Amino acid sequence: MNLYFPLTDMYKFLFVVPPFFGHISPTLSVGASLLEKGHQVKWLGITSLADHHIPEGGEYIYPAEDLQPHLEELQQILRRQDDGPGCSAPEVMKIAFEETYVPMARIMMGGLSRTVDRWKPDLIINDCVTFAGALCAHMKGIPCVTTTPVPPEVMGNTAETAPKIFAWHEKLFRGLQEEFGLYHDQLLVHSKQMNMVFTSSEFAGVKNPEPHMRFVGPVKGRPNHTEFDWQRLEKARGPLVFVSLGTLLIDIRKDFFGKLIQAFADAPLTIVAATDPAIFEEWPDNFIVSGFVPQAALMPKMDAVICHGGFNTVNDTFLNGLPMLIIPITYDHFHTAKLIEDAGCGIKIRYKRLKIDDMRKAVFELLENSTYREASARIRETFIAAGGNDKAVELLEQCCAINNNIN
Amino acid sequence: MDTIVTAGKLNNEEIFNLLKQFITEVIGEEFAEEMDISMESSFNKDLEMDSIEIVAFSEKIKAHFGDKIDFTGWLSDMDIDQLIALKLGMIVKFIETCQ
Repeated sequence: MNLYFPLTDMYKFLFVVPPFFGHISPTLSVGASLLEKGHQVKWLGITSLADHHIPEGGEYIYPAEDLQPHLEELQQILRRQDDGPGCSAPEVMKIAFEETYVPMARIMMGGLSRTVDRWKPDLIINDCVTFAGALCAHMKGIPCVTTTPVPPEVMGNTAETAPKIFAWHEKLFRGLQEEFGLYHDQLLVHSKQMNMVFTSSEFAGVKNPEPHMRFVGPVKGRPNHTEFDWQRLEKARGPLVFVSLGTLLIDIRKDFFGKLIQAFADAPLTIVAATDPAIFEEWPDNFIVSGFVPQAALMPKMDAVICHGGFNTVNDTFLNGLPMLIIPITYDHFHTAKLIEDAGCGIKIRYKRLKIDDMRKAVFELLENSTYREASARIRETFIAAGGNDKAVELLEQCCAINNNIN
Repeated sequence: MDTIVTAGKLNNEEIFNLLKQFITEVIGEEFAEEMDISMESSFNKDLEMDSIEIVAFSEKIKAHFGDKIDFTGWLSDMDIDQLIALKLGMIVKFIETCQ
Protein backbone atom coordinates (compact mmCIF):
# COMPACT_ATOMS: atom_id res chain seq x y z
CA MET A 1 0.00 0.00 0.00
CA ASN A 2 1.00 3.55 -0.64
CA LEU A 3 4.21 2.62 -2.40
CA TYR A 4 3.96 5.64 -4.64
CA PHE A 5 2.80 8.10 -2.03
CA PRO A 6 4.74 7.12 1.06
CA LEU A 7 4.52 10.53 2.77
CA THR A 8 0.79 11.13 2.68
CA ASP A 9 -2.13 9.07 3.85
CA MET A 10 -4.71 8.42 1.18
CA TYR A 11 -8.33 9.30 1.90
CA LYS A 12 -11.83 8.86 0.53
CA PHE A 13 -13.69 12.10 -0.26
CA LEU A 14 -17.41 12.30 -0.99
CA PHE A 15 -18.76 15.51 -2.57
CA VAL A 16 -22.51 15.96 -2.04
CA VAL A 17 -23.80 18.28 -4.76
CA PRO A 18 -27.08 19.97 -5.79
CA PRO A 19 -28.56 19.73 -9.31
CA PHE A 20 -27.04 23.10 -10.29
CA PHE A 21 -23.94 22.97 -12.47
CA GLY A 22 -22.56 26.26 -11.16
CA HIS A 23 -22.33 24.68 -7.71
CA ILE A 24 -20.93 21.36 -9.01
CA SER A 25 -18.26 22.95 -11.22
CA PRO A 26 -15.70 23.97 -8.54
CA THR A 27 -16.04 20.57 -6.81
CA LEU A 28 -15.07 18.90 -10.11
CA SER A 29 -11.91 21.02 -10.21
CA VAL A 30 -10.96 20.31 -6.59
CA GLY A 31 -11.87 16.64 -7.07
CA ALA A 32 -9.57 16.42 -10.10
CA SER A 33 -6.68 17.71 -7.98
CA LEU A 34 -7.44 15.24 -5.15
CA LEU A 35 -7.52 12.36 -7.67
CA GLU A 36 -4.17 13.46 -9.11
CA LYS A 37 -2.68 13.12 -5.64
CA GLY A 38 -3.93 9.53 -5.42
CA HIS A 39 -7.00 10.03 -3.22
CA GLN A 40 -10.35 8.39 -3.95
CA VAL A 41 -13.13 10.79 -4.89
CA LYS A 42 -16.83 10.29 -5.52
CA TRP A 43 -19.73 12.67 -6.06
CA LEU A 44 -23.36 12.14 -5.13
CA GLY A 45 -26.23 14.10 -6.65
CA ILE A 46 -29.96 13.85 -7.29
CA THR A 47 -29.89 14.40 -11.05
CA SER A 48 -27.66 12.51 -13.47
CA LEU A 49 -24.43 14.10 -14.70
CA ALA A 50 -22.76 13.24 -18.03
CA ASP A 51 -19.60 11.13 -17.66
CA HIS A 52 -17.40 13.58 -19.52
CA HIS A 53 -17.73 16.08 -16.65
CA ILE A 54 -16.23 13.64 -14.12
CA PRO A 55 -12.45 13.79 -13.66
CA GLU A 56 -10.62 10.59 -14.58
CA GLY A 57 -10.67 8.04 -11.78
CA GLY A 58 -13.65 9.64 -10.06
CA GLU A 59 -17.22 8.39 -9.91
CA TYR A 60 -20.57 10.17 -9.86
CA ILE A 61 -23.26 8.36 -7.89
CA TYR A 62 -26.89 8.87 -8.85
CA PRO A 63 -28.93 6.76 -6.43
CA ALA A 64 -31.67 5.97 -8.96
CA GLU A 65 -33.57 3.48 -6.83
CA ASP A 66 -33.80 5.78 -3.80
CA LEU A 67 -34.84 8.71 -5.97
CA GLN A 68 -37.57 6.85 -7.87
CA PRO A 69 -40.45 7.93 -5.55
CA HIS A 70 -39.30 11.60 -5.70
CA LEU A 71 -38.86 12.14 -9.43
CA GLU A 72 -41.98 14.19 -9.92
CA GLU A 73 -41.30 16.43 -6.94
CA LEU A 74 -37.74 16.88 -8.14
CA GLN A 75 -38.89 17.96 -11.59
CA GLN A 76 -41.19 20.53 -9.97
CA ILE A 77 -38.30 21.89 -7.91
CA LEU A 78 -36.09 22.23 -10.99
CA ARG A 79 -38.84 23.95 -13.00
CA ARG A 80 -39.51 26.35 -10.12
CA GLN A 81 -35.98 27.79 -10.47
CA ASP A 82 -37.06 29.51 -13.68
CA ASP A 83 -39.63 31.57 -11.74
CA GLY A 84 -36.87 33.53 -10.00
CA PRO A 85 -36.69 36.39 -12.53
CA GLY A 86 -40.41 37.14 -12.13
CA CYS A 87 -40.32 37.17 -8.33
CA SER A 88 -39.50 39.80 -5.74
CA ALA A 89 -36.55 39.43 -3.38
CA PRO A 90 -38.54 37.99 -0.44
CA GLU A 91 -40.35 35.58 -2.76
CA VAL A 92 -37.02 34.42 -4.17
CA MET A 93 -35.83 33.72 -0.62
CA LYS A 94 -38.88 31.54 -0.07
CA ILE A 95 -38.34 29.68 -3.36
CA ALA A 96 -34.69 29.07 -2.49
CA PHE A 97 -35.02 27.93 1.11
CA GLU A 98 -38.54 26.58 1.55
CA GLU A 99 -39.18 25.20 -1.94
CA THR A 100 -35.70 24.12 -3.00
CA TYR A 101 -32.96 23.52 -0.42
CA VAL A 102 -35.05 21.98 2.35
CA PRO A 103 -37.07 19.56 0.15
CA MET A 104 -33.86 18.67 -1.74
CA ALA A 105 -32.31 17.58 1.56
CA ARG A 106 -35.29 15.31 2.26
CA ILE A 107 -35.15 13.80 -1.24
CA MET A 108 -31.42 13.20 -0.99
CA MET A 109 -31.05 11.73 2.48
CA GLY A 110 -32.03 8.10 1.77
CA GLY A 111 -29.65 7.45 -1.11
CA LEU A 112 -26.90 9.49 0.51
CA SER A 113 -27.15 7.63 3.80
CA ARG A 114 -26.93 4.23 2.09
CA THR A 115 -23.96 5.36 -0.04
CA VAL A 116 -22.10 6.61 3.03
CA ASP A 117 -22.72 3.33 4.90
CA ARG A 118 -21.45 1.34 1.94
CA TRP A 119 -18.41 3.41 0.90
CA LYS A 120 -17.43 4.89 4.29
CA PRO A 121 -15.83 8.17 3.15
CA ASP A 122 -13.23 9.83 5.40
CA LEU A 123 -14.67 13.26 4.66
CA ILE A 124 -18.04 14.46 3.41
CA ILE A 125 -17.92 17.72 1.47
CA ASN A 126 -21.37 19.28 1.12
CA ASP A 127 -22.21 22.20 -1.09
CA CYS A 128 -23.71 25.13 0.83
CA VAL A 129 -27.24 24.50 -0.47
CA THR A 130 -27.01 20.71 -0.13
CA PHE A 131 -27.93 20.43 3.53
CA ALA A 132 -28.30 16.63 3.49
CA GLY A 133 -24.51 16.23 3.25
CA ALA A 134 -23.74 18.03 6.51
CA LEU A 135 -26.72 16.49 8.35
CA CYS A 136 -25.77 12.97 7.23
CA ALA A 137 -22.13 13.54 8.26
CA HIS A 138 -23.31 14.61 11.70
CA MET A 139 -25.55 11.56 12.08
CA LYS A 140 -22.77 9.14 11.07
CA GLY A 141 -19.95 10.86 12.96
CA ILE A 142 -17.97 11.62 9.80
CA PRO A 143 -16.12 14.95 9.53
CA CYS A 144 -17.59 17.45 7.10
CA VAL A 145 -16.46 20.47 5.10
CA THR A 146 -18.90 22.80 3.33
CA THR A 147 -18.08 24.36 -0.05
CA THR A 148 -19.47 27.77 -1.01
CA PRO A 149 -19.10 28.77 -4.67
CA VAL A 150 -20.51 32.29 -4.20
CA PRO A 151 -19.45 35.12 -1.88
CA PRO A 152 -21.03 34.42 1.52
CA GLU A 153 -23.11 36.88 3.56
CA VAL A 154 -25.50 37.45 0.66
CA MET A 155 -28.22 38.63 3.00
CA GLY A 156 -25.96 40.58 5.34
CA ASN A 157 -26.39 40.43 9.08
CA THR A 158 -30.10 39.57 9.22
CA ALA A 159 -29.95 38.95 12.98
CA GLU A 160 -29.64 42.74 13.33
CA THR A 161 -31.24 44.17 10.21
CA ALA A 162 -34.21 41.82 9.79
CA PRO A 163 -34.74 39.77 12.97
CA LYS A 164 -37.87 38.07 11.67
CA ILE A 165 -36.13 36.89 8.50
CA PHE A 166 -33.32 35.55 10.69
CA ALA A 167 -35.83 33.72 12.89
CA TRP A 168 -37.55 32.25 9.82
CA HIS A 169 -34.21 30.83 8.64
CA GLU A 170 -33.41 29.37 12.05
CA LYS A 171 -36.81 27.74 12.31
CA LEU A 172 -36.57 26.25 8.83
CA PHE A 173 -33.09 24.76 9.40
CA ARG A 174 -33.92 23.53 12.90
CA GLY A 175 -37.16 21.96 11.69
CA LEU A 176 -35.24 20.06 9.00
CA GLN A 177 -32.59 18.69 11.32
CA GLU A 178 -35.21 17.66 13.88
CA GLU A 179 -37.03 15.71 11.15
CA PHE A 180 -33.90 13.56 11.08
CA GLY A 181 -33.82 13.27 14.86
CA LEU A 182 -31.03 15.79 15.34
CA TYR A 183 -31.88 17.83 18.44
CA HIS A 184 -28.93 20.14 18.79
CA ASP A 185 -28.19 23.69 20.02
CA GLN A 186 -26.39 24.55 16.81
CA LEU A 187 -27.60 24.59 13.23
CA LEU A 188 -26.05 21.62 11.47
CA VAL A 189 -26.81 22.26 7.79
CA HIS A 190 -23.32 23.71 7.25
CA SER A 191 -19.97 22.51 8.58
CA LYS A 192 -18.65 24.31 11.65
CA GLN A 193 -15.23 22.77 11.05
CA MET A 194 -14.59 24.39 7.69
CA ASN A 195 -16.45 26.34 5.03
CA MET A 196 -14.36 26.57 1.87
CA VAL A 197 -15.23 29.60 -0.25
CA PHE A 198 -14.14 29.85 -3.90
CA THR A 199 -13.36 33.56 -3.97
CA SER A 200 -11.05 35.89 -2.04
CA SER A 201 -12.11 37.55 1.23
CA GLU A 202 -11.07 40.87 -0.35
CA PHE A 203 -13.48 40.49 -3.26
CA ALA A 204 -16.23 39.11 -1.03
CA GLY A 205 -15.87 42.20 1.18
CA VAL A 206 -15.52 40.03 4.30
CA LYS A 207 -13.21 41.93 6.66
CA ASN A 208 -12.80 39.58 9.61
CA PRO A 209 -13.91 36.12 8.55
CA GLU A 210 -14.74 33.58 11.24
CA PRO A 211 -11.82 31.13 11.59
CA HIS A 212 -13.68 28.26 9.87
CA MET A 213 -14.36 30.37 6.75
CA ARG A 214 -11.46 29.62 4.38
CA PHE A 215 -11.26 31.68 1.18
CA VAL A 216 -9.22 29.66 -1.34
CA GLY A 217 -10.07 31.70 -4.45
CA PRO A 218 -11.18 30.27 -7.81
CA VAL A 219 -10.25 26.68 -8.61
CA LYS A 220 -9.77 25.26 -12.10
CA GLY A 221 -8.95 22.09 -13.97
CA ARG A 222 -12.32 20.34 -14.31
CA PRO A 223 -12.55 18.33 -17.54
CA ASN A 224 -13.96 20.38 -20.41
CA HIS A 225 -13.53 18.82 -23.83
CA THR A 226 -16.07 21.08 -25.55
CA GLU A 227 -15.14 21.86 -29.13
CA PHE A 228 -15.01 25.39 -30.45
CA ASP A 229 -14.56 27.11 -33.80
CA TRP A 230 -11.17 28.64 -32.98
CA GLN A 231 -10.52 29.56 -36.61
CA ARG A 232 -13.59 31.73 -36.75
CA LEU A 233 -12.48 33.40 -33.53
CA GLU A 234 -9.07 34.20 -35.02
CA LYS A 235 -10.73 35.95 -37.95
CA ALA A 236 -13.12 37.89 -35.70
CA ARG A 237 -12.90 41.66 -35.87
CA GLY A 238 -12.60 44.21 -33.12
CA PRO A 239 -12.59 43.58 -29.39
CA LEU A 240 -14.02 40.22 -28.25
CA VAL A 241 -16.85 40.30 -25.71
CA PHE A 242 -17.85 37.05 -24.01
CA VAL A 243 -21.50 36.68 -22.98
CA SER A 244 -22.95 34.02 -20.69
CA LEU A 245 -26.19 33.55 -18.80
CA GLY A 246 -25.07 30.35 -17.11
CA THR A 247 -27.07 27.14 -17.08
CA LEU A 248 -30.29 28.26 -15.33
CA LEU A 249 -32.85 30.90 -16.34
CA ILE A 250 -33.96 29.17 -19.54
CA ASP A 251 -37.15 31.22 -19.97
CA ILE A 252 -35.57 34.63 -20.36
CA ARG A 253 -32.79 33.70 -22.78
CA LYS A 254 -34.67 34.85 -25.84
CA ASP A 255 -35.49 38.22 -24.35
CA PHE A 256 -31.95 38.78 -23.09
CA PHE A 257 -30.19 37.80 -26.30
CA GLY A 258 -32.73 39.76 -28.34
CA LYS A 259 -31.64 42.89 -26.45
CA LEU A 260 -28.01 41.94 -26.98
CA ILE A 261 -28.59 41.74 -30.75
CA GLN A 262 -30.29 45.14 -30.76
CA ALA A 263 -27.34 46.63 -28.94
CA PHE A 264 -24.45 45.05 -30.82
CA ALA A 265 -25.49 43.85 -34.29
CA ASP A 266 -23.02 45.59 -36.63
CA ALA A 267 -21.11 47.22 -33.76
CA PRO A 268 -17.30 47.26 -34.20
CA LEU A 269 -16.77 44.26 -31.91
CA THR A 270 -17.41 40.52 -31.84
CA ILE A 271 -19.78 38.87 -29.40
CA VAL A 272 -18.89 35.34 -28.29
CA ALA A 273 -22.07 33.98 -26.71
CA ALA A 274 -22.63 30.76 -24.79
CA THR A 275 -26.27 29.91 -25.43
CA ASP A 276 -28.31 27.55 -27.58
CA PRO A 277 -28.17 29.10 -31.11
CA ALA A 278 -31.62 27.64 -31.87
CA ILE A 279 -33.41 30.43 -29.95
CA PHE A 280 -33.11 32.58 -33.11
CA GLU A 281 -33.17 31.58 -36.76
CA GLU A 282 -30.44 34.02 -37.62
CA TRP A 283 -27.68 35.76 -35.70
CA PRO A 284 -25.76 38.89 -36.80
CA ASP A 285 -22.41 38.23 -38.53
CA ASN A 286 -20.43 39.55 -35.59
CA PHE A 287 -21.98 37.01 -33.18
CA ILE A 288 -20.26 33.64 -32.56
CA VAL A 289 -22.83 31.51 -30.74
CA SER A 290 -22.53 27.98 -29.36
CA GLY A 291 -24.55 26.06 -26.80
CA PHE A 292 -21.49 24.93 -24.88
CA VAL A 293 -18.05 26.52 -24.89
CA PRO A 294 -14.66 25.70 -23.37
CA GLN A 295 -15.01 28.76 -21.13
CA ALA A 296 -11.70 28.54 -19.26
CA ALA A 297 -9.77 28.23 -22.54
CA LEU A 298 -11.75 31.02 -24.23
CA MET A 299 -11.54 33.60 -21.48
CA PRO A 300 -7.84 34.57 -21.88
CA LYS A 301 -8.61 35.65 -25.46
CA MET A 302 -11.50 37.96 -24.49
CA ASP A 303 -11.47 41.73 -23.89
CA ALA A 304 -14.62 42.08 -21.74
CA VAL A 305 -17.44 39.96 -20.34
CA ILE A 306 -21.21 40.42 -20.05
CA CYS A 307 -22.99 38.14 -17.61
CA HIS A 308 -25.79 37.99 -15.04
CA GLY A 309 -23.50 37.22 -12.12
CA GLY A 310 -23.13 33.44 -12.25
CA PHE A 311 -20.17 32.84 -10.06
CA ASN A 312 -18.00 30.63 -12.24
CA THR A 313 -18.09 33.23 -15.00
CA VAL A 314 -17.33 35.96 -12.45
CA ASN A 315 -14.29 33.97 -11.27
CA ASP A 316 -13.05 33.25 -14.81
CA THR A 317 -13.44 36.93 -15.72
CA PHE A 318 -11.39 38.40 -12.89
CA LEU A 319 -8.86 35.56 -12.93
CA ASN A 320 -8.10 36.88 -16.42
CA GLY A 321 -8.08 40.52 -15.39
CA LEU A 322 -11.07 41.43 -17.59
CA PRO A 323 -13.74 44.09 -16.98
CA MET A 324 -17.40 43.03 -16.68
CA LEU A 325 -20.83 44.37 -17.45
CA ILE A 326 -22.96 42.60 -14.87
CA ILE A 327 -26.70 42.45 -15.50
CA PRO A 328 -28.18 41.00 -12.30
CA ILE A 329 -31.48 39.20 -12.78
CA THR A 330 -32.41 37.38 -9.58
CA TYR A 331 -31.13 35.25 -6.66
CA ASP A 332 -27.68 36.29 -5.43
CA HIS A 333 -26.79 38.22 -8.60
CA PHE A 334 -27.47 41.59 -6.93
CA HIS A 335 -25.01 40.88 -4.14
CA THR A 336 -22.33 39.87 -6.65
CA ALA A 337 -23.07 42.99 -8.72
CA LYS A 338 -22.54 45.19 -5.67
CA LEU A 339 -19.18 43.53 -4.95
CA ILE A 340 -18.10 44.19 -8.54
CA GLU A 341 -19.11 47.84 -8.33
CA ASP A 342 -17.33 48.16 -4.97
CA ALA A 343 -14.16 46.68 -6.48
CA GLY A 344 -14.41 48.99 -9.50
CA CYS A 345 -13.86 46.15 -11.98
CA GLY A 346 -17.20 46.43 -13.75
CA ILE A 347 -20.48 48.22 -14.40
CA LYS A 348 -23.89 47.07 -13.19
CA ILE A 349 -27.19 47.47 -15.03
CA ARG A 350 -30.12 45.67 -13.49
CA TYR A 351 -31.95 43.46 -16.00
CA LYS A 352 -35.34 44.93 -15.15
CA ARG A 353 -33.98 48.43 -15.85
CA LEU A 354 -31.94 47.51 -18.92
CA LYS A 355 -32.00 49.94 -21.84
CA ILE A 356 -30.31 48.99 -25.10
CA ASP A 357 -28.44 52.27 -25.32
CA ASP A 358 -27.11 51.99 -21.75
CA MET A 359 -25.86 48.46 -22.47
CA ARG A 360 -23.97 49.64 -25.55
CA LYS A 361 -22.46 52.63 -23.73
CA ALA A 362 -21.41 50.47 -20.78
CA VAL A 363 -19.56 47.95 -22.94
CA PHE A 364 -17.61 50.63 -24.82
CA GLU A 365 -16.81 52.36 -21.53
CA LEU A 366 -15.38 49.06 -20.22
CA LEU A 367 -13.32 48.57 -23.37
CA GLU A 368 -11.99 52.13 -23.55
CA ASN A 369 -11.48 53.16 -19.93
CA SER A 370 -8.56 51.21 -18.46
CA THR A 371 -9.52 51.78 -14.80
CA TYR A 372 -11.91 48.81 -14.88
CA ARG A 373 -9.18 46.56 -16.24
CA GLU A 374 -6.75 47.80 -13.59
CA ALA A 375 -9.26 47.09 -10.82
CA SER A 376 -9.84 43.64 -12.27
CA ALA A 377 -6.08 42.97 -12.20
CA ARG A 378 -6.08 43.84 -8.48
CA ILE A 379 -8.86 41.30 -7.85
CA ARG A 380 -6.85 38.78 -9.87
CA GLU A 381 -3.92 39.20 -7.45
CA THR A 382 -6.16 38.45 -4.44
CA PHE A 383 -7.58 35.40 -6.23
CA ILE A 384 -4.11 33.98 -6.94
CA ALA A 385 -2.85 34.76 -3.43
CA ALA A 386 -5.80 32.80 -1.96
CA GLY A 387 -4.14 29.60 -3.16
CA GLY A 388 -6.67 27.92 -5.48
CA ASN A 389 -6.56 24.15 -6.02
CA ASP A 390 -3.35 23.53 -4.03
CA LYS A 391 -4.72 25.31 -0.98
CA ALA A 392 -8.08 23.52 -1.26
CA VAL A 393 -6.37 20.10 -1.40
CA GLU A 394 -4.08 20.96 1.52
CA LEU A 395 -7.02 22.05 3.69
CA LEU A 396 -9.12 18.97 2.87
CA GLU A 397 -6.21 16.62 3.61
CA GLN A 398 -5.67 18.42 6.92
CA CYS A 399 -9.31 17.86 7.88
CA CYS A 400 -8.93 14.11 7.31
CA ALA A 401 -5.60 13.94 9.14
CA ILE A 402 -6.89 15.80 12.20
CA ASN A 403 -9.88 13.51 12.42
CA ASN A 404 -7.71 10.37 12.03
CA ASN A 405 -5.56 11.50 14.95
CA ILE A 406 -8.62 12.07 17.11
CA ASN A 407 -9.88 8.58 16.33
CA MET B 1 -30.38 68.73 -0.77
CA ASP B 2 -33.94 67.79 -0.01
CA THR B 3 -35.49 70.00 2.64
CA ILE B 4 -37.58 68.75 5.49
CA VAL B 5 -41.12 69.98 5.08
CA THR B 6 -42.84 70.41 8.39
CA ALA B 7 -45.87 72.36 7.33
CA GLY B 8 -49.25 70.66 7.89
CA LYS B 9 -50.18 67.00 7.74
CA LEU B 10 -50.65 65.42 4.34
CA ASN B 11 -53.75 63.48 3.45
CA ASN B 12 -53.77 60.02 1.89
CA GLU B 13 -53.78 61.24 -1.67
CA GLU B 14 -51.01 63.75 -1.10
CA ILE B 15 -48.85 61.07 0.52
CA PHE B 16 -49.56 58.69 -2.35
CA ASN B 17 -48.60 61.29 -4.96
CA LEU B 18 -45.43 62.07 -3.08
CA LEU B 19 -44.44 58.40 -2.86
CA LYS B 20 -45.23 57.96 -6.54
CA GLN B 21 -42.91 60.86 -7.27
CA PHE B 22 -40.14 59.28 -5.11
CA ILE B 23 -40.55 55.96 -6.93
CA THR B 24 -40.35 57.66 -10.31
CA GLU B 25 -37.17 59.46 -9.25
CA VAL B 26 -35.63 56.23 -8.00
CA ILE B 27 -36.44 53.84 -10.86
CA GLY B 28 -36.51 56.38 -13.69
CA GLU B 29 -39.42 57.93 -15.55
CA GLU B 30 -39.25 55.50 -18.46
CA PHE B 31 -39.84 52.50 -16.20
CA ALA B 32 -42.34 54.25 -13.91
CA GLU B 33 -44.54 55.22 -16.86
CA GLU B 34 -44.84 51.59 -17.92
CA MET B 35 -46.23 50.72 -14.51
CA ASP B 36 -49.69 51.64 -13.40
CA ILE B 37 -48.62 52.74 -9.92
CA SER B 38 -51.57 52.59 -7.51
CA MET B 39 -52.38 52.07 -3.84
CA GLU B 40 -52.71 48.37 -4.72
CA SER B 41 -49.25 48.10 -6.29
CA SER B 42 -47.23 45.42 -4.55
CA PHE B 43 -44.04 47.05 -3.37
CA ASN B 44 -41.77 44.14 -4.20
CA LYS B 45 -43.49 42.44 -7.10
CA ASP B 46 -45.20 45.16 -9.15
CA LEU B 47 -42.69 47.92 -8.57
CA GLU B 48 -39.79 45.45 -8.80
CA MET B 49 -37.60 47.53 -6.54
CA ASP B 50 -34.31 45.94 -5.57
CA SER B 51 -32.58 46.51 -2.25
CA ILE B 52 -30.54 49.46 -3.52
CA GLU B 53 -33.65 51.15 -4.88
CA ILE B 54 -35.50 50.51 -1.62
CA VAL B 55 -32.66 52.20 0.27
CA ALA B 56 -32.85 55.20 -2.07
CA PHE B 57 -36.64 55.33 -1.62
CA SER B 58 -36.27 55.14 2.18
CA GLU B 59 -33.78 57.98 2.14
CA LYS B 60 -36.22 60.16 0.24
CA ILE B 61 -38.92 59.45 2.82
CA LYS B 62 -36.51 60.30 5.61
CA ALA B 63 -35.34 63.50 3.88
CA HIS B 64 -38.94 64.62 3.45
CA PHE B 65 -40.56 63.63 6.73
CA GLY B 66 -37.58 63.60 9.07
CA ASP B 67 -37.03 61.24 11.99
CA LYS B 68 -40.67 60.99 13.04
CA ILE B 69 -41.22 58.38 10.35
CA ASP B 70 -38.97 55.34 10.79
CA PHE B 71 -39.73 53.61 7.49
CA THR B 72 -36.60 51.41 7.54
CA GLY B 73 -37.29 50.32 11.11
CA TRP B 74 -40.88 49.50 10.20
CA LEU B 75 -39.74 47.43 7.20
CA SER B 76 -37.04 45.57 9.10
CA ASP B 77 -39.58 44.36 11.64
CA MET B 78 -41.60 42.52 8.98
CA ASP B 79 -41.53 38.78 8.45
CA ILE B 80 -41.12 37.29 5.00
CA ASP B 81 -44.84 36.95 4.23
CA GLN B 82 -45.53 40.52 5.33
CA LEU B 83 -42.76 41.71 3.00
CA ILE B 84 -44.26 39.77 0.10
CA ALA B 85 -47.74 41.22 0.83
CA LEU B 86 -46.53 44.81 1.24
CA LYS B 87 -48.55 47.25 -0.89
CA LEU B 88 -47.93 50.90 -1.57
CA GLY B 89 -51.23 51.74 0.18
CA MET B 90 -49.90 50.22 3.40
CA ILE B 91 -46.90 52.54 3.30
CA VAL B 92 -49.25 55.50 2.74
CA LYS B 93 -51.26 54.44 5.77
CA PHE B 94 -48.13 53.96 7.89
CA ILE B 95 -46.93 57.46 7.05
CA GLU B 96 -50.37 58.92 7.68
CA THR B 97 -50.52 57.36 11.15
CA CYS B 98 -47.01 58.46 12.11
CA GLN B 99 -47.02 62.08 10.99
